[in-house]
Amino acid sequence: MSNEVTENGVSRRTVLKGAALGGLGLVGGGTLLSSCGSDEATGPVTFTARTNDETGLKIAQALADAYKAETGIDVTMQGSGDTNAFQDGISQYLQGTPDDVFQWMAGFRTNFRADQGLLADLSDNISNLGDQMPEGFVSGATNPSDGKQYIIPTTWYPWGLHYRKSTMIELGLDPENIQTWDDFMKLLEGTQKKGLIGYAMGDKGGWEAMGTFSIINTRMNGYDYHIDLLNGRAKWTDQATIDVFNQFAMLIPYMNKNFLDISWDGMRDLLLQKKCGAMMMGSWWANDFLAKSQEDYDDLWIVPFPEINPEFGRDSIDAPVDGVSVASNGSNVEGGKAFAEWIGSEAGMLAAQAAGDTSLYANSRLDTSGYDAFNKQKLAVIGEAKNVMNFLDRDCRNDFAGTIVGPAIQNFLKAPKDVNKIVDGMQEAWDALPPLE
Amino acid sequence: MSGIVQDKKYRDRQKRKDFFITVFIAIFAFIWMVPLLWTFFTSLRPYSDVIQNGVFSKPSSIGIQNYINAYDRMEIWEYLSNSFIVAIPAVVLTLFFGSLMAFVVTRYSFKFNLYLLLLFTAGNLLPVQLVYAPLFKMYIWIGELFGNRNLLYDSFIGLILVHVALQMGFATFVMSSYMKTIPKEISESALLDGASVFRHYWNVILPLLRPPLAALSVLMTTWIYNEFFWAIVLIKSDSKRPITSALGRLQGEFVTDFNLLAAGAIMAALPTLIIFFILKRQFVSGLTLGSTKG
Repeated sequence: MSNEVTENGVSRRTVLKGAALGGLGLVGGGTLLSSCGSDEATGPVTFTARTNDETGLKIAQALADAYKAETGIDVTMQGSGDTNAFQDGISQYLQGTPDDVFQWMAGFRTNFRADQGLLADLSDNISNLGDQMPEGFVSGATNPSDGKQYIIPTTWYPWGLHYRKSTMIELGLDPENIQTWDDFMKLLEGTQKKGLIGYAMGDKGGWEAMGTFSIINTRMNGYDYHIDLLNGRAKWTDQATIDVFNQFAMLIPYMNKNFLDISWDGMRDLLLQKKCGAMMMGSWWANDFLAKSQEDYDDLWIVPFPEINPEFGRDSIDAPVDGVSVASNGSNVEGGKAFAEWIGSEAGMLAAQAAGDTSLYANSRLDTSGYDAFNKQKLAVIGEAKNVMNFLDRDCRNDFAGTIVGPAIQNFLKAPKDVNKIVDGMQEAWDALPPLE
Repeated sequence: MSGIVQDKKYRDRQKRKDFFITVFIAIFAFIWMVPLLWTFFTSLRPYSDVIQNGVFSKPSSIGIQNYINAYDRMEIWEYLSNSFIVAIPAVVLTLFFGSLMAFVVTRYSFKFNLYLLLLFTAGNLLPVQLVYAPLFKMYIWIGELFGNRNLLYDSFIGLILVHVALQMGFATFVMSSYMKTIPKEISESALLDGASVFRHYWNVILPLLRPPLAALSVLMTTWIYNEFFWAIVLIKSDSKRPITSALGRLQGEFVTDFNLLAAGAIMAALPTLIIFFILKRQFVSGLTLGSTKG
């Protein structure tokens, strides 16, 4: 959760430039080999993919096959049946008879289960990976309560301002050169004047607008304050928090009016159909632009959210990290750990990529030379950031994020004048939460 | 109606009434059909078409490609057989236990008859999500007692038992209502001839229960077949999940091709539709069973 690592920015940029760390590569390879030779890791391993869609299962199966080819250990892969049901029922899954390894998400969702003893400690495996695992990702995967890691990061995606290059050129605007909030407001105004939606918003699900809230909070008050706020060390009723809401309110006049009726896919459609200027979202749906046409895909672009407070610049970003965890109730924990480590290693990444995985990988050996312009831009967007957030619903306890913050932001969007009442309610709800143990 | 003298004025009034009722029913039937027809319509269009032109647009092309793709991806036969491995024993057991229960509460008078029946009916009203967590713990606990966590959890047996337990209340309720319409004299003559309790149930009452048994078996097969909740929370292995889970294969983590999903949903719904059309009469009679008495 607290992944404030200054060197991180450097390492990300190194990744971005695709600079191969040749000398260090040898060291990493050595540790990888030695870890594979550990004696406990034998016997068949079971593996649950978090998703159940065709691409996801194909990639997961490719990992299983490649591992078998390399080590001779059998891996049985299965889909989760339904992604959301799997995520919601993870506690039961882990208390029952879970598979040894499963795909999961970093942040609270991992740390909470780790504290309950349901996940195996993967710290040794992370250190075996050595320089292959950039420090930013390691600290992002670290459980703050005991300083150990229970997930091996594999892939991630950034949250940023998405727009169409052609639309902005037509309007004579340049989002890439927005320096200040005033410039940003001018951009929104300019878009709206031309009859388009300035800032597309869809918050039907209650979580979509969290992205905007988090980024404004980190831009105004910094990453530390944001994480403190989400973990009860700062208050929702603080003036600093209220200021964030008031800043957020400045965007509302530029939003589409039906923001509570549409979800993220509604926002995507606004952008697809050239009805809006900018939208703040994670970039997981770019393939839909490609499904429409190559031209539309080439038109899509992403930039970081603009600076508000020069003290913090653009030093934070939401970039949820996915990875693999090992269930402590699994039947082959040691074998599971070795497989999880292998998935996080260069060999695992290459196997997934060979199966058609276009995700951005955490592994530092990521070869970006084959990346298209949009994917390179995604790397550039995150390369600028020093602090990586896992998104609000993973940075904070689940019984607060979904049930309190989501509806509160929805209420705020409907009636921004009630901000004082809303933050009072949020703070009350936080204070009323039972302790986690 | 037949005993009433029907003059012309009355007939006209009746005709007008019938006309309005028909229009009314037609409107509501249409409202009910729209989502189904829309799903069918969607299933015939390619995803790229919807992305390009929006959901409410004239389709650029129509075809069954979605059905072919969905069939390829769903591994439909494996999941379908899982569905029936669960549904058939569950329905048979539910009807057996339900009829036993109904037999006892209607044919014999104990002090607690009414309360027993109430308990079963009230149990029906509990939302299943409420009992999920305790049930899960119980399954694991019983499994550990026998040294095998997967005795009930992640096994067909466990899933069948859940369905039996949850559907039995309704089965008991319907069959006891029906049994009350069977004349007491039949039971009395059976007892007079010296039939044991089981013989009384098996040879005398059960054959008379054919209509509610037929109706309930159709209804329950459909319900259990369509059930998804227990299948996803109590079954860990994807290879043991029923057909409803196969639909999950057509969904993406973030982005779902709804046209493909629509095709898959229609294919998954086909068996229930077939069952419905074959046994339509039992289905309809099942809805009104026992409604005149009890």
